[in-house]
Amino acid sequence: MLGEPKITVSEAYLRDVEKKVEDLKALREVSALISSTLDFNDLMTLVMEKAKKVMNAEACSILLYNKNTKKLEFEVAICKEETASEILREKITLDLGQGIAGWVAENLKPLLIRDAGSDDRFFKDADKLTGFKTKSLLAVPLVGRGGLVGVAEIINPKNKDSFDDYDSEIFQTLCRQVAIAIENACFYKESLEKEKMRQELEIASALQKSFLPDSPFFKRDKLTVSAVNISAAKVGGDLYDFIEPVEGKAGILIGDVSGKGVSGALYMAKIISDFRFIAKEIASPGTALQLLNTQLSRAPRGMFLTAIYIIADIHTGELLITVAGHPPPLILSGGGAAVMDIPSGPPVGILPVEYPSVAFSLKKGDKLLLLTDGAFEAKNKKGERIGFEKLLDFIKRHKNEEQLVQMVIEHVKRFSKGTEMADDLTMVELAWDCVA
Amino acid sequence: MKIEISDHKGKKVMALSGEIDMHESPYLRKELMALVGKKTTPLVVDFQAVSYIDSSGIATFVEGLKGMMAFGGKLQLVSIPAGIMEIFSFSKLDKVFEIHGSVDDALNS
Repeated sequence: MLGEPKITVSEAYLRDVEKKVEDLKALREVSALISSTLDFNDLMTLVMEKAKKVMNAEACSILLYNKNTKKLEFEVAICKEETASEILREKITLDLGQGIAGWVAENLKPLLIRDAGSDDRFFKDADKLTGFKTKSLLAVPLVGRGGLVGVAEIINPKNKDSFDDYDSEIFQTLCRQVAIAIENACFYKESLEKEKMRQELEIASALQKSFLPDSPFFKRDKLTVSAVNISAAKVGGDLYDFIEPVEGKAGILIGDVSGKGVSGALYMAKIISDFRFIAKEIASPGTALQLLNTQLSRAPRGMFLTAIYIIADIHTGELLITVAGHPPPLILSGGGAAVMDIPSGPPVGILPVEYPSVAFSLKKGDKLLLLTDGAFEAKNKKGERIGFEKLLDFIKRHKNEEQLVQMVIEHVKRFSKGTEMADDLTMVELAWDCVA
Repeated sequence: MKIEISDHKGKKVMALSGEIDMHESPYLRKELMALVGKKTTPLVVDFQAVSYIDSSGIATFVEGLKGMMAFGGKLQLVSIPAGIMEIFSFSKLDKVFEIHGSVDDALNS
């Protein structure tokens, strides 16, 4: 009777199969580990500890590719001596093409080095600095969906002289998962940072708005002032203010700070507080802006302010107007609309100069419009700007409308529909003896 | 934005091209302030190939100008295209900066 066919296998073959089964188990464990955390630092340490164990290596490291500097930086280095890890992390970066890791990153190919000492590509400085002796190493590019993520390396097998092709195959399988895990953890880290930034900006925005007057409307005697302020980003660099510097007078300020974002917003907040302090008791807008100019001349990074400051007599409609590099005021009077021809000084905060104050008298029903350049620099989808002249035409056509400011805002929004708002937009309207 | 720095008749000329916006200004600032730091005067900035400048770009030149003024140096802006000159005139920055029609005009001034 014929029995089952007998297969004879050597002990070495069995050990080999057992090793492969163990390796596959280890790979499965790494896969589970990778999906267990999105914390970038935890993930790095976990994965590389495991990789070192699976590959039975003396040391291992991950270098991440910094897209901004175009260099490889040590993110994790696990070896016996902690000091060596610290040295690698703090002192060593590699250019693409430099050293084994640089070569792997540049060519996007794995590299198995059986004898590091005899390979010209090996970057010897790392060993010199750490005191570690690299004999054999395996380096694999980490490539995610978005391209090169970094390079993973294992160094010196513990149980033999050098790594072999089988080790290379296992390490590459491991690294494919590691690359995707790193990419996911990076996305997660970025999204957390973005969320934090969004919250910070929201607080900054609320704080910034608190520097503007409590109400956008201001009425004293026959003078009515209203303002609209729309920020392009969460925080903006436009400002306006209504104050009562001396008895019977109203001070109306509109301004645009150079720069945007948080720096523009901080500067805007400083300007408003400086302005309120300086402008107290001063009846001449030119003098007030001159003092503000001195105060702001120490501003960092060349930051400056374009502004118009008007001091109005709330009983007579007599105005004193000072313009500092700002778009001129528009006067709507007797059925006409025109740009006021007022000599302007340079923006505030640049040069020590004197700012003239120009007198103007408002008549019953007159309106004065002040605006920032966001109103006429708005772009449409084709990249064309509204332009000051065209905006002026629009204002002239609608000069008799009661809701003129709102109409201008809607016009700008319509014009730039479908595009990202590039600049803040602020308009202030002074109305004298108008029927509400 | 591209920056090319050259010597023209023994004077430094910084030729700019492209858009100078809030993304490019830090690069401009680094190059400009390095020259100001070395007390390079006069420094001629050629705007001929500049297509756009925003307030962050202008602020960078204001910082450069203040740096120059601190040691009595000269910052000269030349060949400013009409569209950009309008921005300078509109905001009275033409009262702030020394502006010339060409590199030679600036060097002969």
